[in-house]
Amino acid sequence: MNDQPAWVKIEREFDAPIDVVWEMWTDPELFKQWYGPMGMHVPTAEMDVVVGGTRKICMEMSAPDRKMTMWFTGVYKEVSRPARLVYTESMCDAEGHILSPQSMGMPEGHPDVTEVIVELREDKGKTIMTMVHVGAPEGTAGGGGWRQAFDKLAALLTG
Amino acid sequence: MTDSDQLDAAFSALANPTRRAILAHLLKGEATVNALAEPFEMSLPAISKHIRVLEEAGLISRSRDAQFRPCRLNAAPLAAVAQWTEAYRPIWEARFDVMEQVMQAMKDKRDE
Repeated sequence: MNDQPAWVKIEREFDAPIDVVWEMWTDPELFKQWYGPMGMHVPTAEMDVVVGGTRKICMEMSAPDRKMTMWFTGVYKEVSRPARLVYTESMCDAEGHILSPQSMGMPEGHPDVTEVIVELREDKGKTIMTMVHVGAPEGTAGGGGWRQAFDKLAALLTG
Repeated sequence: MTDSDQLDAAFSALANPTRRAILAHLLKGEATVNALAEPFEMSLPAISKHIRVLEEAGLISRSRDAQFRPCRLNAAPLAAVAQWTEAYRPIWEARFDVMEQVMQAMKDKRDE
C-alpha cells in the first residue's frame, strides 16, 4: 500500500511575469515548445481557449525503428486570464474520438478523463504556479462525487 | 473480473456518499452491518446493498466464519486506483523544467 494521493500537485516558482506563464499554457506555439519532454515532441496543438472550447494535442515519440503517436483531447472548463485555467484531458485518435487509456497501453487504473487545474499568482515580479492533475473532473461520472471520492481515497491511502 | 473491471467497480463504488461514509467508518477497524447502519436513516437491506457493492468492488471483505460477519477494509484496489499519478509526476516535472528554459531563452532574446 502506498501513500500517494490520486492526483499530482506541483508548485513551481518562475522568474517570469504572470502573463508570460499564462501564454506558455494558452499559446499553441509556445505550448509545443515545453509540453513534450524526454524524447517526445508536440507537432500539433490546437487550442480554443474559451470556456467550452476544445483542445487537441498530438505527441510524438521517435524510436530508432518506429514513430509512436498519441493524441489527447479535452475541453476548457475555466479560463480566467491570467490566474486560473482548467481543462480536461482524454486519450483520443487523430480525429478526436476518445479512446480508453487501456486500449492505448496505459497501465490499469489510469482514468478515462483527467483534469488539469493551473493557478498562477504574481509575487515580487515572479510567478508562482500550482498545477493539479486529478483523476477525473467534478460534474462527470458519479454525479459530481468524484472530487469527494478522491479526497476520501487520499484519506484512506494516507490514513 | 479483470483488473480493469475491478477498477471500474472501485471507482463507481466510491462515487456514492453512503458508501464512502461506510469506508470511512471501516478505517477505524472492522464493524458489523448493524454498526455500519447506525449513523444512517436507511433500512438495513438498503445498507446491506451498499455493502454488497463495496464487497463486489473488492473494497471491503467480510469474514466467512464469525457469527456477525464483520466487514473490513481491503486497501489493495484503492492503491491501484492511485498509482497512475506516479507515472505522471516525473513527466510534469520535466515539462516545467523545459518551460523554465523556454521562458529564460525568451527573456535572454529580449535583453539582447
